[in-house]
This record gives sequence, structure tokens and C-alpha cells, in this order.
Amino acid sequence: MKYLPLCWPTRNGLPPLALVISFAVVFGALAWAAPIAEINPLRLIASVPRLLSFIGNILVMPDAQYFPELFRKMLETLEMAMLATSIALAISLPLGFLAAKNTSPHPAVFHFMRTLLSFMRALPELVWALVFVSAVGLGPLPGVMALAFVTVGFMGKFFAESIEVVDAKPIEGVEAHGAGWLQVRTFAYLPQAMPDFIGSTLYILEHNLRAAAILGLVGAGGVGYDMVMAMRLFDYDRILSIALGIYLIVALLDRLSSHFRSRVI
Amino acid sequence: MKNLSATPPKKPFNSLPVWFSLWIALLWLIVFDLDISLQMLLYGLDDMAEYFSRYAEPDFSDLPRYLHLMMQTIATALWGTLIALVFAFLLAPFAARNLTPNKVTYRLAREVLNFLRALPDLLLALIFVAALGLGPLPGALALGVHTAGFLGKFFAESLERVDKGVIEAIQATGASRSQVVMYAGWPSILREAIGYTLYIVDRNVRMASVLGLVGAGGIGLALHDTLRFFKYGESAALIVVILTVILAFDYFSTWMRGKLT
Repeated sequence: MKYLPLCWPTRNGLPPLALVISFAVVFGALAWAAPIAEINPLRLIASVPRLLSFIGNILVMPDAQYFPELFRKMLETLEMAMLATSIALAISLPLGFLAAKNTSPHPAVFHFMRTLLSFMRALPELVWALVFVSAVGLGPLPGVMALAFVTVGFMGKFFAESIEVVDAKPIEGVEAHGAGWLQVRTFAYLPQAMPDFIGSTLYILEHNLRAAAILGLVGAGGVGYDMVMAMRLFDYDRILSIALGIYLIVALLDRLSSHFRSRVI
Repeated sequence: MKNLSATPPKKPFNSLPVWFSLWIALLWLIVFDLDISLQMLLYGLDDMAEYFSRYAEPDFSDLPRYLHLMMQTIATALWGTLIALVFAFLLAPFAARNLTPNKVTYRLAREVLNFLRALPDLLLALIFVAALGLGPLPGALALGVHTAGFLGKFFAESLERVDKGVIEAIQATGASRSQVVMYAGWPSILREAIGYTLYIVDRNVRMASVLGLVGAGGIGLALHDTLRFFKYGESAALIVVILTVILAFDYFSTWMRGKLT
């Protein structure tokens, strides 16, 4: 069975079998998961007053003296994301060529690279940040290392996938001119895959900015640390400004990157 | 006939080196500003090798507890995805240009989705933990709220690509707006929607494994504690458990998506 028989609405008016089975499986899994995840509607309703009082606590005049510090931290977060993305770009560009089926020197290299990349992207940044913080100490360095490490896994895979779908004719054309191994890759594969590369790099930059904003939770630099400290010390006048600052910078980058993406693709 | 010039055209100015060097300069400034000393990194390489060798012997003596925590993580991720799916199902038709009632609802739905997407899930978890107390429930809520933004955006973009003829055909039968959405919109993007949902499940399992750091249940807290008490064997075992489950989910969702398209 190559395709699941998904067709809706069906001829006899009953829902398709595949949909019924998948719904049964999904709801079975959810029902199994509910007690383990402590999903309890009563508790949810019971905690509405607490949520409201928390929101009331947050909605106070922001601490204006904290703004320069916040700006400094936001800049640090942005810098971490940019640095990590650049490092990951430099590493994953060659890896992408090795991990693409049509440019890899040998099938063994291809399979090895693909497995390596999926291992690199398997664990979330925060786990690597925890490990790197205990290896090199606090500060932005372990954060950048963790971000770069994980995003090499993602970017390498994205690059490899966009190299695999390039048109074969320009490659033959360049090869027919007697271009060498590296020349074919730089002048035939790279220009064709470039729009995809830029698109995925922008996506990764966005992802890294979001991730960099939370790495501070484990002491790996960025604005997350301030957020945790404000929560722990009940500095309610800071929480809202930090959250809004993160929202603003992420939304700004989102707009910028979708603008660039529409220009490139 | 057009007058052809005898000299070949001038080589166009290649601005790539300029941009490249500006970029390198910016990165150098960033390194300088972040106080990252490469020397420290280089000196630290030997220490790092020694440090990572401490993870070489995973200690699986507490495996049942880890498996239970991992199960809690998966359960959190599944419920988070369900919450996201419900939100996205309701919001996506409003955020699709061809199905939305008017411009105001379109912009409003898009802004809501952008807002949901903007705050990282761990920050949301932090807020929900402060508001609702410890446990996996705030974690599931945080995952749900954050990924609802992604899922809603993906669904809306797919809905915008639905063939105009299909929508017109349903409209011609006198269907109301909600009927158009239910019988022209969702059935046309069913495969894509399932694909995106699988991707979100995959992503949520990944994120749920670190939600424990802020007290939102799951395996992350155990990892944090073992690292804090320098029990590297147990940390290695926890990392192996997380890695195995995440890779299993990754393969399952890739396989399933391959079946769908």
C-alpha cells in the first residue's frame, strides 16, 4: 500500500476507514497520556483565578531603570543568534554537499553524514547548552556553541535536500566545459541551490534568535537569565518588559526575513 | 541591424567580496562584544576531551524512573499538540486570504498567530508554571500555545493554495462559509495538514524533554539535577534515553510523511 486511502467526503457518506483508524489511535494515545501528563480540566478551571491574579501582578508600571540593561541583554541575544548562525553556515555548507545524494563522493559518506546530522539535531539546544555550560563555564560562549552545534544538524540537512533537487542540465553543461570537481560544485550546484540556501538560513536565524532568548535559563547568556531571575525574585515590573522585548525583536526579524525571502525566491 | 560594439562588455562589478568582508568584520565585532576568547576555547580543548570522557559510561541503574519520566514527556508533547491543533483548526480559516470573511478578521487572525509564535515555549512555560503551579499541565499548555502559532500559519498557507474551482463548486451549491471551509478547505489540505501535525509532534517531543528545566514536568528536570550533582553516568543514561526516543519519533514521522505525499 503506497498511499493511505484518504478521501473525504466519501461516496457512501461514511468517514474513510483510514481516518477512523487514525482517529482511534490518536484518541487512544491521548486518553493514555492524559493521566500521565496530569491533564485535569478541573485543575485548569480552578487555577483561573491564580492566572488572573498573576496577570494583574504583571500589569504594573515597568521598571524604567532596567531598560538600558534590557537593551544590552537583547543585543547580546541577537549577537549570539547571528554568530551561531554564521558559524553553523560555514560548517554546514561543505557538510551539505557531502550529505546530498548527487554530490556526495561515495554512498558510504552520504549515509554517514546523514546519520551524523540527524544525531546533531536530535537533542534540543538547551540540553547541549547544559552540557557546554558545565564544560566551559557560564557566559555566551557555551550558548553559541550549543546553538551552532544543533543548527549544523538542521542546516546541513536543509542544504543537502535543496542540493538534491537541482536541475541536472546546467551541471552537465558546466561539466562539458571540463570543469573540475570543485568547480562543478561552486558554479553549477551552488548558484541553483542559492535561493533555497538563503531561505533556510533566514529560517535558522529566526529559530536561533528564539532559542538564544531561552538559553539564559541554564546560564548560557542572553536575555533568558533575566527572565528567570525576575520570576524567581518576583520582580513583576520587569517580566512584562522582557517578554515584550523578546516579542518585539522576534516579530521584527520575522517580518524582515519574510521580506527578504519574498525577494529571493 | 543593431550596432554591435567591438569591445566585449565590461565585467560587472562583483560586490560579493565587499559584503563578505563586512560580514566578517561584523562577526569579529560580535565576538569582541560578547567577550568570547578563542584562546580560552583552544586551551580548553584538552579539558573538554577529558570532560566528555566522563560521559563514557552511562549508568542505567535507574532506568524505570527515566522511562516513566520519558513517558510523561511524550504525554505532555501529545497534549500540547492537541491544544495546538484545536487552536489552529479554529484560527487557520480566518488567516487564509481566500476563506476569511473580511480583511479585518484576516489581519486579526494573522496577528494572533504571529503573537502566539513569537514567545519561545520555554518562556511561556515559565509564565504558566508561575501561574498554574508545577507539573506537566503548564508544559502542555505552553507547547500548545506556542505551536498553535506555527500550525495555524502552516494551515493558513496551505488553505490559501486550495484550488479556486473547488471552493467555487462548493459555494455554487449554496454552502455557508463554514461549510465551504469544512468541505472545500480542510479536505483539500488533509494530507499536508497531517504532515505538518506530525512535524509538530516531533518538535514538541524534542521541546518537552527540556521543559522540566522550568518545572513543567518531564525528563528535563532529572537531567538538570544529575548534571548539577556531577553524576555524569546518570546524565549520559538520560541523554541516551532522550536521544533514542527523539530519533524514534523523527524516523516515524519521516516515514509517515513519506507515506502521505
